[in-house]
Amino acid sequence: MIEVKEVEKKFGRKKILKGVSFTANKGEITCLIGINGVGKTTILNAIMALTPIHKGQILIDGEPLKENTFEKITFIPDAITMLPQMTIAESMEFMHDFYASWNQERATELLSFFKLKPNDRIASLSKGNSAKVNLLLGLALDVDYVLMDEPFSGIDMFSREEIANVFTSHLIENRGVIITTHEVGDIEHLIDKVVLLDDGMVTKEFNAEEARENEGKSVIDVMREVYVR
Amino acid sequence: MKKYWKSTAIIAVIVLSLGTFFVNAATSAEQYPEFVIQKQSGDASEIKPLVLDGSYADTSSASYVSTNLKISTNGSKYNSRSLIDQIIGQPPTLIKDLQEQYRSFMRGKNAWADVFFEDESFLAYADVDYKRGSLKASDFTFSISVLNKKDGNTNTFTVEVPDSGVLSHIFVEDVQVVGDELHLITQNMMPNYEEYHDEKHVYTIDLADQHITHHESIIQFPKEEGEKDLYINAELIETDPTKANERLVFLTTKEIESDHPESSDFEVMNKEIITYNLATKESEVIDVPDLDLMENQLSFYDGSNIYFTRAEGQEFIVTPFDLENEKNGQLLRIPMSNDENGNVLTPMITVNDDKLYAVDSYMNASTNAAITVSDLKSGDPLFEGEIVLKDSLELDSFDLYVHEIFLR
Amino acid sequence: MKNYIKLANFEINRVSKLFTVLLGITLIVQIVGVIVEARKYLNMANEKMYEEMMSIAEFLEMFNQMSFIQVVRSVWFLGPIALCIAGVAFYIFLIWYRDWFGRNTFVYRLLMLPTSRLTIFFAKITTIMVMTLGFVAFQLILLPIELLIFKGMVPSDFRNDMGVREVVSSMPEISIIIPGSLLELILYYGAGLLAVSILFTGILFERSFKWKGIFAAVLYGAVAVVLFISPLLLQEFVVDHFFYPLELFLLEIVMGLIIFAGSIWTSGFLLKKKITV
Repeated sequence: MIEVKEVEKKFGRKKILKGVSFTANKGEITCLIGINGVGKTTILNAIMALTPIHKGQILIDGEPLKENTFEKITFIPDAITMLPQMTIAESMEFMHDFYASWNQERATELLSFFKLKPNDRIASLSKGNSAKVNLLLGLALDVDYVLMDEPFSGIDMFSREEIANVFTSHLIENRGVIITTHEVGDIEHLIDKVVLLDDGMVTKEFNAEEARENEGKSVIDVMREVYVR
Repeated sequence: MKKYWKSTAIIAVIVLSLGTFFVNAATSAEQYPEFVIQKQSGDASEIKPLVLDGSYADTSSASYVSTNLKISTNGSKYNSRSLIDQIIGQPPTLIKDLQEQYRSFMRGKNAWADVFFEDESFLAYADVDYKRGSLKASDFTFSISVLNKKDGNTNTFTVEVPDSGVLSHIFVEDVQVVGDELHLITQNMMPNYEEYHDEKHVYTIDLADQHITHHESIIQFPKEEGEKDLYINAELIETDPTKANERLVFLTTKEIESDHPESSDFEVMNKEIITYNLATKESEVIDVPDLDLMENQLSFYDGSNIYFTRAEGQEFIVTPFDLENEKNGQLLRIPMSNDENGNVLTPMITVNDDKLYAVDSYMNASTNAAITVSDLKSGDPLFEGEIVLKDSLELDSFDLYVHEIFLR
Repeated sequence: MKNYIKLANFEINRVSKLFTVLLGITLIVQIVGVIVEARKYLNMANEKMYEEMMSIAEFLEMFNQMSFIQVVRSVWFLGPIALCIAGVAFYIFLIWYRDWFGRNTFVYRLLMLPTSRLTIFFAKITTIMVMTLGFVAFQLILLPIELLIFKGMVPSDFRNDMGVREVVSSMPEISIIIPGSLLELILYYGAGLLAVSILFTGILFERSFKWKGIFAAVLYGAVAVVLFISPLLLQEFVVDHFFYPLELFLLEIVMGLIIFAGSIWTSGFLLKKKITV
């Protein structure tokens, strides 16, 4: 379980996060929803210790992040994290070199799933393909938690479909996923848990299925209630 | 392993290239010629205590770099130019020996011999501290340290220099400890109107009370007004820097700038020997009969005798003069060598235990530097020899200068 | 340790292109320099001897033999060295900033490696060191080749032969880069390593706190410099030359090691707690 507790974060004098708390469980897809600039990416960065927080605490399976926590949690940012001059194969080799949790079989499987060519250089990839490589590098790790930052933004329709397929496949099974988005449409049906963010705070945290079954509301319905008043 | 080849190659090249260079550097270190003192006649044991501080330069190479060395009966020892040796520095032999023997006492002390005094029971140090100002120095104080060798106690204190307001600068020229008193002989420089005006002073400091008991100006030598071209200078005659002598000997020289507009030569007008007795506090002008001070150089003072030297033909003549009885002693005649141009080389001298050591101050590929030790009482030579290149090595051209004779 | 070697190797591979280009420039420009300078001298000799009817002896009397020093003092020789120094100085900053800027954010990857983040620091400082010593080693290999070309061009009557060591010690600027003894090499490049570690810490301050970080970096640099010279200041103004020169030297080394350790610790802290992508 990933626990985010009362996290505060300032940029200069401006408070971006004003005491954000939520949890994300293994085996569930948790979606952070909010308009752009609300601090979704910052939360993911903070979980990975890529940016300091000013107050609060973040625990992963009950412990603060350590070096080898990176063997059980991975982050797929919205830009590719490999050097432009590297090929896809070299990027995979790099991951293989440093991560004990790298699963070469899964990586090869993802490579053919996404129809990527291993000798293509990162610099030459289309936006969609580079997002796929990014996804590949993250998902080929045998980790418990995957964080994804806006995996669908700026990507063509067909790539979106392919990526969305990942979420229903065995590639995601049993993992805890935190995904951020500002447009929930594509993946609404996949989401287990929704965390609505506004003005640096969690305005509502709810179970998507329960909302559907008990109140007959879609995620978008609930969002409308919260945001449009 | 393919992706490691670049790093491996670069590191291998670094190790090999730098390794070769430094192994070469270490094994083919610069070779200096070795000098030894070769006996010609006499008793070789006479030069056992002799250490000559000098410098060597290879004049055949374009870069004229001189290296300090010491020559003794053990041969020559060059100051290595390694970084560590450069850091340690090259203090004179006397200071080096003191630093080795009295490491903690010698801490933070200036490394020149004049400010030290040593006998069987004391090692004393006195120097002047001051504040550097933008226009002039101020706040002159004597800082004094006396080590009692028997009990190992150090008496350290400072005393303000009296009347220091008028000083522009002050140098310590000699330090002597007699009983409970420390005598400081200084040259005081004071601006006097627009001229500088120097004085030789003696300060007597009571070591127990730590204050100045006596202060006197021994010699004043202003640049006299109206006679702008006249220069007066007074020097304290060097003796063994660490020894105590009841009497101080000064030589004053009056020089006049010659009229020739192109040259700035000085012509010596007059020389005078003045002694000062530290016990009686009396000064006296010494008249040396039958000796022309213009011709004879006052070269050394050993506490009881002063030694005059002059060159006469191929001989170097030393005349001792007994200050107590005011009479000349046994004349010494030392044969001199010529350099390749026919110029005679005048030696430097030092006296110890009634023996006179004379060493030529320069040698090169064609002329060796002579060393003689003579008995002052009889005038007989005890040792005659010269500095030579070891194993009759032949060198094209070099300069060897001897700066100082030191007796261990 | 294993990750350090992998990462250092990775960083060295990243700089290898720039490194090779600078080596190539040095090789070509210096060798051209030897040829040009030797030609210049020989042309002058020809002119004087054939047109002004000077004898060899007269010519040598007036103009001296040519020594390799003339080549060393020319821009042909010193220019590439200056360029390599500038290259290293530039890369000290680029080695960090290239990971933050541009379309690819490699810094995410580096910071998310399952290894101590100080490994990144060590890998990068190792790369700078290897690059620097690589240039030095290359110059030492190049010099004998240049001397050989020089010998081949200038007839023996007209040249004053020198060994590599003489050439290296002929100019103080060069003998700092290539000192005469291993101890000096270790000291000079140790001091360089210390300076790079301070700069790295400064860069990490900037990367952690942005504008305020620049201020902190300058402050850190100033504190490091003051600390480093503190034994000298102490010796001069407080203890009145209490220390013997060798003791002072050892104190300086200890102080350098302390500051180096301080820089590593501070960088480790910043990378772990304060860095921001």
